[in-house]
Amino acid sequence: MTCAQQPVPGRRWQKVLYERQPFPDNYVDQRFLEELRKNVHARQYRYQAVVFQSGAVVQQLCSVCVFVLTWWYMDAGMLSPQGLFGAALVSSLLGYVLFDAVDGGAGRWASGRTRWADLKSTLVFAAFTYGFSPVLKTLTESISTDTIYAMSALMLLGHLIFFDYGANAAIVSSTLSLNMAIFASVCLASRLPRALHAFVMVTFAMQIFALWPMLQKKLKAQTPRCYVGVTVLFALAALAGLATVSSVGAVLFASLLLAISCLCPYCLIRLQLLKDNIHGPWDEAEIKEDLSRFLM
Amino acid sequence: MEGGGPEAHSVCMVSDFFYPNMGGVESHVYQLSQCLIERGHKVLVVTHAYGHRKGVRYLTNGLKVYYLPLKVMYNQSTATTLFHSLPLLRYIFVRERVTIVHAHSSFSAMAHDALFHAKTMGLRTVFTDHSLFGFADVSSVLTNKLLTVSLCDTNHIICVSYTSKENTVLRAALDPRIVSVIPNAVDPTDFTPDPSRRDDSTITIVVVSRLVYRKGIDLLSGIIPELCQKYPEIHFIVGGEGPKRIILEEVRERYQLHDRVRLLGGLEHQDVRNVLVQGHIFLNTSLTEAFCMAIVEAASCGLQVVSTRVGGIPEVLPENLIILCEPSVKSLCDGLEKAISQLRSGTLPSPETVHNEVKTFYTWRNVAERTEKVYDRVADEVVLPMKERLDRLMTHCGPVTGCIFAFFAVLNFLLLAFLRWMTPDSIIDVAIDATGPKGAWTKQCLFGKKRRVKEELPNS
Repeated sequence: MTCAQQPVPGRRWQKVLYERQPFPDNYVDQRFLEELRKNVHARQYRYQAVVFQSGAVVQQLCSVCVFVLTWWYMDAGMLSPQGLFGAALVSSLLGYVLFDAVDGGAGRWASGRTRWADLKSTLVFAAFTYGFSPVLKTLTESISTDTIYAMSALMLLGHLIFFDYGANAAIVSSTLSLNMAIFASVCLASRLPRALHAFVMVTFAMQIFALWPMLQKKLKAQTPRCYVGVTVLFALAALAGLATVSSVGAVLFASLLLAISCLCPYCLIRLQLLKDNIHGPWDEAEIKEDLSRFLM
Repeated sequence: MEGGGPEAHSVCMVSDFFYPNMGGVESHVYQLSQCLIERGHKVLVVTHAYGHRKGVRYLTNGLKVYYLPLKVMYNQSTATTLFHSLPLLRYIFVRERVTIVHAHSSFSAMAHDALFHAKTMGLRTVFTDHSLFGFADVSSVLTNKLLTVSLCDTNHIICVSYTSKENTVLRAALDPRIVSVIPNAVDPTDFTPDPSRRDDSTITIVVVSRLVYRKGIDLLSGIIPELCQKYPEIHFIVGGEGPKRIILEEVRERYQLHDRVRLLGGLEHQDVRNVLVQGHIFLNTSLTEAFCMAIVEAASCGLQVVSTRVGGIPEVLPENLIILCEPSVKSLCDGLEKAISQLRSGTLPSPETVHNEVKTFYTWRNVAERTEKVYDRVADEVVLPMKERLDRLMTHCGPVTGCIFAFFAVLNFLLLAFLRWMTPDSIIDVAIDATGPKGAWTKQCLFGKKRRVKEELPNS
């Protein structure tokens, strides 16, 4: 053990166990750790690309903001349900036309869904919501308003957390996200003055939380420039609306949006440089094939 | 320890994993202990109680085993508080006059506890790591940190393969020169070939492993239908039990292979050889493996081995005895087809030749000899005094963890001082040596009394 580190001349060390080699057991060869690989799966991001992708988060935050603002105006009696319903109907029709126009009807052809089916589900949904709106109205009467507000805030936060922003993560669940948003809208709608208000509020929630993200996704895939424009306009609209209610809130919200779209991408790219991931032959191998075909 | 010449050590093996539990670590501890006893050292094993098996027991050749009454938490590993085991372990270390504490397996909480206490008591420490670990997820980040703490002031570390050494050095941020590579061994007399047990009208592929994800059983579920459809004479024998058994059963059901795929369920260690000798080809589909005893056992029985190229497996057998494949169904099928064509053309060496080659590779005597060298080296080293140990912890393990564990080390030291005040070392009875230079058992054997396996509680 005294000559621990001197390699024996004329004999090369081999990385094998079955042969007795004239080296001490704690011998460290030059080839030690030669198979070490660093940052194999690390990706280099471009700032612009990350900012573009952060648009999805900005959009969703603005959707929540617009939704709460609309409720606020309705609650304060500054917005009539008929007016909101009309505006929402017009914008939905516009969006519906746009949805097919953006990709030239390719998506509709691929899904094989007819316009009649669309109309049917719309009518069914509207009829049911209208029929049940008196129930929605009285549903939460026995619950205190503070609880309702807390619950709505929690649900909207959950909606933002679980929303499908395009990342492939285990936490993402668009169904849960949509359900939480609708639950929040039902909670808030029950605090409005009349059943008609509740009906309009829930349909509006459907439009802004279910239909609007679908259109956005399509816009993002087909016409990225247009998408950026829409995002900026939408964010400005939300900010302007918020400014009419609370100027401090508007400033805070604006700084939040800026932080998400400018500061966070910058941090991500800076932190990426510090990434130090090590890989080597000791890693557990990954099964890359789809093995379920053998069981089908 | 007086220098010069072969000296006898008093070694205490500590691990949560020991008989009656079965596995690689268990047999490693047992076989190594037996060979060290044969070489004249005093060896005892400390583990936790297994059911009714508690207290002190003697195994073959006077190997003394302490089954300590500590609570098992998860997967046969005890819970750790870092402190609760000190009174018991101190008592054992003192009454057995232990000089070297040899802990086994990074999954064993008791092993880490024993290292911690041994350092507090000023004993030499050796640690054997039996497994590989990744770096990617949160759980491995945390366990690697704990390993860094546990190993930063351990005298010497033993790994079972070069890949395992690289892994351990990286995980615990160690100096590679205090890490030795001493492979596992297989008793070649337990794994002898017997070609008469084979059915040569068919080709039998044997798989012996626990049926869990890490052993690549999902890959096996793809290989079985692929090959069975291509070669009507192929049969599979699968030995082992585990949560993935269900998918093998599904595959067997789906492709109507009940007569060609036999699932034997859990095997006792002594039955493994009887299963192996029925086959022509041994298949190992592990996704990660530090050493892989199974392929050595199979090769020792004269089978052609086909295995995935993961972890330490490429180091274990020479190229003419193993076909290495990538961990995918296609690559493994290609490897198996190559083995099948070699088998048909008769270019494979006979089982006897393979056995004779393999039996020279890994023996427990060799392992014990090399481990003894590590003990000799460690015995000449100094154990870090308290101040230097705290320095090492704080500089080596990061500012936060280092300080926390340095604090724990101080607490442990105070607890030890308290215990020494309560029951001074001088009033702890010294146990009669069963093994070692003055071993009562060894002498009995020398005087020609018959060997026997005695299980009794000592009244020393």
